[in-house]
Amino acid sequence: MLAAVLIAVVVVSSIGAGLAALLVVAEHFFANYGPCSITINDERRLTVNGGGKLLSVLTAEKIFIPSACGGRGTCGLCKLKVLEGAGPLLPTEEPYLDKDQRESNVRLGCQVKVRNDLKIEIPQELLAVREYICKCAEIIDLTHDMKQFRLELVEPQTIDYVPGQYIQLLTPVYEKSSEEVYRAYSISSDPADKSAIELIIRLVPGGICTTYCFEYLKVGDQVKMNGPYGEFRLSETDAPAVFIAGGSGMAPIKCMLHHMKNTGNKRKATYYFGANKVKELCLGELMRQFESELADFRFIPVIAAPEQDQNWDGEKGPVTEAVQRTLDNAGQCEAYLCGSPGMIDASLDVLKKLGVGEDKIFYDKFE
Amino acid sequence: MKESPQDKKLDEILRSSRLVAGGFMGCDTRSVSEIVDADEVKLSKLGFTRKQVAERMRQITNIAKAGLGTWVRIDESLEAKIDEARGLLVCPWPHPGTFLKRITSIRQTETGASIQWSDLNIHLIGEHGFFEGRGSNFRIEPAELVAIIG
Repeated sequence: MLAAVLIAVVVVSSIGAGLAALLVVAEHFFANYGPCSITINDERRLTVNGGGKLLSVLTAEKIFIPSACGGRGTCGLCKLKVLEGAGPLLPTEEPYLDKDQRESNVRLGCQVKVRNDLKIEIPQELLAVREYICKCAEIIDLTHDMKQFRLELVEPQTIDYVPGQYIQLLTPVYEKSSEEVYRAYSISSDPADKSAIELIIRLVPGGICTTYCFEYLKVGDQVKMNGPYGEFRLSETDAPAVFIAGGSGMAPIKCMLHHMKNTGNKRKATYYFGANKVKELCLGELMRQFESELADFRFIPVIAAPEQDQNWDGEKGPVTEAVQRTLDNAGQCEAYLCGSPGMIDASLDVLKKLGVGEDKIFYDKFE
Repeated sequence: MKESPQDKKLDEILRSSRLVAGGFMGCDTRSVSEIVDADEVKLSKLGFTRKQVAERMRQITNIAKAGLGTWVRIDESLEAKIDEARGLLVCPWPHPGTFLKRITSIRQTETGASIQWSDLNIHLIGEHGFFEGRGSNFRIEPAELVAIIG
């Protein structure tokens, strides 16, 4: 009796699995959705071959929607509005969309299939995103685990970005990665130089892209990136600016300081840079140069646990405590933070306690 | 045991480098379920469940967060620190799940024995009993883990 039940279960399961596989194969080879149109923001119309996932169709058309999982439907980042033609919400999308998003037709680009004409909305800044072919022109060791990479643009030859924005760097297939992946890095260069960008990258143990950049990428190699992305930027007010960063969070702040110098910005600015050890400090000379060139700028490196042989006589302890000890007129300030989520959260607490308005705190969390 | 299509897909994702460098399986030729089962037996012999171990790991990570990247005393014999990087790690299992790229390093002050894990490791162990395959960058040996944090 038991054997008969087991055989029946196996047979029924096998038939089900076989039919599912047949459907997938049939759809792959025989389903022909023909040409479909995708209307973007009521302004631009693409004609594409139906059948592909919206995210990959847009990428093929050089419209880049950020995604962390390569289109597997597990990161929930590739959200965009699909106003018409997407069909019902899929169970694979539901966990990533709140009530408001569902009501406003937000969908996951990697899950929506282009089967018919679509009408979609994409933030304007994403439409400005371009793909760039670059040549790695210089690699500088900043600390034991941070390097600065200068990427000269080959095609297109120039880039426009707002200081504070980031790009996505493509890691090609290499010994430790069998697939191409994109990773996000803030631009650190002087925005006046539109022919190249610089990135400050900290080695992540086991990281696909950082391992590639540190161990495989050589001067002269060609790399691909797309961008710019992000809304982290300096306001246009005269409020005193407080920058707080740590590690590779240095990158967007450095870019902003270049911009302040280029535009003759006279606002008061104080930059707290947190590091664990003195050996983790970098670009000190450039910061001193900014102190002499900007109207009212002070760089305050803060070392959490200085090495005994370094005779460090600067600020010590967590960077947030140094801010608490030394920041004057916090209520008048705007704060710009870039670094690890832990550092950002701790800085938010301290800044709020000091009286900095929540709407005056801008940050680029490492997420 | 025969693998279902879902198991095959999961195995393929775990062996690919799409989500983490070198994948989650390293040079391990065993199936996911074989790895999970073998590690569960090891843990059980040590007197722990995966939920207990994951909870202890999470507790240590939460204490270490306060150090903002510096070493924090966990108890009389342990200290830990957190390193964070930009980006998210995605759970390879078919359910929603993204985790900060946060690495907890922990060491015994007397012996110097150390181990590290990511937030994703905690999830993979607690929810899926998966300590990763041998040779992967973030494989955690249950016996080593228990010896340090148990």
